[in-house]
Amino acid sequence: MLTPSERERYDRQIMIGEIGQKGQGKLKKSRVVIAGAGGLGSPIAVYLTAAGIGTIRIIDHDQVALSNLNRQILHWEEDVGRKKVDSARTKLRNLNSTVEIQAIAETITKENVSDLMDGCDAIVDAMDNLPTRYLLNRCAIEKNIPFFHGAVNGFEGRVMTVIPGETACLRCMYRGLVPQEKFPVIGVAPAVIGSIQATEVIKYLVGIGKLLTNRLLIYDGLKVTFSEFRLNKNPNCDHCGSSAGKE
Amino acid sequence: MVVKVHIHTTHRQFTNGSDVVAVEGNTVGECLNHLIKQFPGMEKALFVKKDKLLNNVEVYLNHASAYPNELAKPVKDGDEIHLVVMLTGG
Repeated sequence: MLTPSERERYDRQIMIGEIGQKGQGKLKKSRVVIAGAGGLGSPIAVYLTAAGIGTIRIIDHDQVALSNLNRQILHWEEDVGRKKVDSARTKLRNLNSTVEIQAIAETITKENVSDLMDGCDAIVDAMDNLPTRYLLNRCAIEKNIPFFHGAVNGFEGRVMTVIPGETACLRCMYRGLVPQEKFPVIGVAPAVIGSIQATEVIKYLVGIGKLLTNRLLIYDGLKVTFSEFRLNKNPNCDHCGSSAGKE
Repeated sequence: MVVKVHIHTTHRQFTNGSDVVAVEGNTVGECLNHLIKQFPGMEKALFVKKDKLLNNVEVYLNHASAYPNELAKPVKDGDEIHLVVMLTGG
């Protein structure tokens, strides 16, 4: 049930036929984990907070550095040296005090990932490294929680949505480890990709639209093109297929 | 068989800036070999060793994932191959 204040705050999105008061009520009841409070995590957290998600758990072990500020718009000059999740919580609470923001300054590991994701309706991948993305992917599948992947490099980015047990997962095309390198990026790339991830989360929680499942969307900011590629669920995938749990 | 290969942004330094290259072959692997004949720099951008793609290279045939056994996939005249590099940044 929405309060009069909430009906006023969310008036413009309640006007969208696919959302309405019923959809807004679903967003209010939802709990979303955002793994990473950096370039992708910033727009994702801002738009999900503005949209009125009930509870947002944002996880990041890092502190704000000056070199983050070209893209991590949740963090400002005054936050340099501060924990990213504390900086994020301050901004998000000022944006929408009705949303419960859970700020967790921890490194996501194989040992704690299950506890950190516990009780949520959606996991949003805003990480900056592949090993943690795979930890989240596996956890999402094991807990049957939808997983919203995004990644960027330079002016480029990619997005896909995983519905456990139904669609291809992040691991379905795995060929082996990829070296971890410092990556170049301009802030507008995670802005575009994070906004699409947030859109996917909202659509899923409300139960509308067509999700980016079994599809990989690649954005090229230099050409301003979106390319879509079909993905196949891998029956032998070690996360979601017959090889699951055999690692 | 004439096939179009779409080159990823980061690989265009090896193709004199070309984003699409016409190649010939009956399989994805033959097409990539023909690509490398035209632009030898593409070999190290795609392969860790003969017939073994780098782990961060993804191959799509006619906008669908060619995984697994990408190189063995047959192609026909007019097909399109996209070479994509996996991204990990956030």
